[in-house]
Amino acid sequence: MMKDVRLERDVQTTTAKIEARNVQVYYGQNHALKDVDVDILDKTVTAFIGPSGCGKSTFLRCLNRMNDTVASARVEGSIKIDGEDIYDARVDPVQLRAKVGMVFQKPNPFPKSIYDNVAYGPKIHGMTRNKAELDAVVEACLRKAALWNEVKDRLLSPGTGLSGGQQQRLCIARAIATSPEVLLMDEPCSALDPIATAQVEELIDELRSQFSVVIVTHSMQQAARVSQKTAFFHLGYLVEYGETGAIFTNPKDPRTESYITGRIG
Amino acid sequence: MSGSLFEQDRKTAVRNAAEKRFRAYGLTAIILALLALVWLLISILGNGLPAFRQTMMTFPVTLDAAVLDKSGNRTPEELAKVTTIAYGKVLATSLTAELAARGIDIGALQPKDIGSLISEESSAQLRNKVLADPALIGTVIPFTVLATGRIDGYFKGRVTMASAALDKNTSPEKLVLADKMKDAGILAMRFNTGFFFLPDASDKRPEAAGLGVAIIGSAYMMLIVLLLTLPIGVAASVYLQEFAPKNWFTDLIEVNIANLAAVPSIVYGILGLSFFINFAGLPRSAPIVGGLVLVLMTLPRIIIPTRAALQAVPPSIRDAALGVGASKLQTVFHHVLPLAMPGVLTGTIIGLAQALGETAPLLLIGMVAFVKDFPSAPPQGFFDPASALPVQIFNWTTRGDPGFVERASGAIIVLLVFLVIMNAGAIALRSRFERRW
Repeated sequence: MMKDVRLERDVQTTTAKIEARNVQVYYGQNHALKDVDVDILDKTVTAFIGPSGCGKSTFLRCLNRMNDTVASARVEGSIKIDGEDIYDARVDPVQLRAKVGMVFQKPNPFPKSIYDNVAYGPKIHGMTRNKAELDAVVEACLRKAALWNEVKDRLLSPGTGLSGGQQQRLCIARAIATSPEVLLMDEPCSALDPIATAQVEELIDELRSQFSVVIVTHSMQQAARVSQKTAFFHLGYLVEYGETGAIFTNPKDPRTESYITGRIG
Repeated sequence: MSGSLFEQDRKTAVRNAAEKRFRAYGLTAIILALLALVWLLISILGNGLPAFRQTMMTFPVTLDAAVLDKSGNRTPEELAKVTTIAYGKVLATSLTAELAARGIDIGALQPKDIGSLISEESSAQLRNKVLADPALIGTVIPFTVLATGRIDGYFKGRVTMASAALDKNTSPEKLVLADKMKDAGILAMRFNTGFFFLPDASDKRPEAAGLGVAIIGSAYMMLIVLLLTLPIGVAASVYLQEFAPKNWFTDLIEVNIANLAAVPSIVYGILGLSFFINFAGLPRSAPIVGGLVLVLMTLPRIIIPTRAALQAVPPSIRDAALGVGASKLQTVFHHVLPLAMPGVLTGTIIGLAQALGETAPLLLIGMVAFVKDFPSAPPQGFFDPASALPVQIFNWTTRGDPGFVERASGAIIVLLVFLVIMNAGAIALRSRFERRW
């Protein structure tokens, strides 16, 4: 089922969706992320790799201001999406999160029906006018998440009753239901078995046509399979950022090379 | 380590022995606790179950117009002048006549002695019945009266011939007559509905004492506690758990709530006395004051389990809701609170059950008073004097007549039944909500 990943690796766009400049993140006294500058492209899968505690998840959570929920976290520098600084005082994080969807490490469907899981976002944002429209959105999102055929007969049964891989695809359907422009994924496959992982990876590749996808992963193979651009984080620094093929075959920084070849991590 | 696996080495033997000893200690503790529980139940049931049956006498009562309405014009003013003593005489005369008609030998007893078999409370009941319907005067009506506490005690084994011989309130001859009346079908033990519907009665009339006012008073207070603590407690918990900034002030509030839950309940009684009664001028002995005092006492006991229930909701659910762009408020009310609801409800019901059994603070705000009149319907009834179940139990245990020991134990059974129902409700709610997914 897997497509030939090398053909997909060509970056098709060059417009920057997200521009981060001089980003610093502190958790209390702990300086967790240092001087991060990066341009994330539209309609591209960007992978963040690096050892545990390197700051890759922290940076991901800056992109939709999920770090706001951590009382001790402090973010400096500028992160612009479509030229607008998301840390500007005028920005409401709730509105931002509708535009920047997120999929978490562990599948976390709401303990509600499959239908309600997907319909929740459009409902609270008032994106549909009636039940028929909402039904259409739910179906479209479940189709995009490659889950429709498996659940179309039991939309009203609980989302928590699905298998792990199905749950994660449900979470992806839920995230894309608010029509985001950027989709953040925090190790979306780390709790899944290899078959479910393959399904989700294939899905990510398809989502690229509509969204700018940023994925944090522990697995270098996964980064190589799904992403066009890769960023390597180490000890809070963004060490190297570039074409995925180049990062894996010809890393410029010795730390990147050490990590890829398994000497650090 | 070498040696055969078939032989226990020294260390293993010591460890196994320690484990065996620990199991024995645990089992002993549980057995002791069970024995205490069994003892409690036997004692309460043994003393209290008789309270649910009451000795009553049924016979035709001749409502003699010459005694009850001397003027003969049936005006309410004239009728109201006739005291319960006159009605007592009517009952005594009627019972004597009935005994004679049935050919029951009353021996040396006088009509006055026969009247003393009947509870004074019944004279009052007959008077109320006649005042409500003066047309009954001059007719013969079937009427059921309560036997006095001593006669009731005789059939429940509390009073014996030997003890009656020493008792100025009764005599062995009266007990013999009571036995004959029982054989003749005039006197019988019946289910004691009065225990649930009658108000408290004076020290001399344990046979007429009921829990009516106490049950209503407790019900009013529980209503006040539920209506105030659930919204206030949940709002406070949600704010503290989900919205409050983490700073020294929040910490101070948290520590204080934890401490308040451990404050002896009598302290809340003093607070209620000085604030609600002396300062705010609310009436003494009223369910509104009792309810408000219990609200203060119950709030921390509801906030703590509610916060625990909110905390137990996995953070991934909050992340998921925030991640699709729900606001903090939507996250809490659409996802976190519904998931915490079984815990919240369980905490609330257990808090209510504690409040239901609370005695000390109510003593201080005057709910220990003797209340004979039923409070009216709410909301006015919240301000009328009332009693409460645990206070009624306390009250009865302090009285002299042995008939009240039985009443108090019976009231404990009623209170325990209410508590068991509430706790069962908590368990049922919990399992029902948890089974949803």
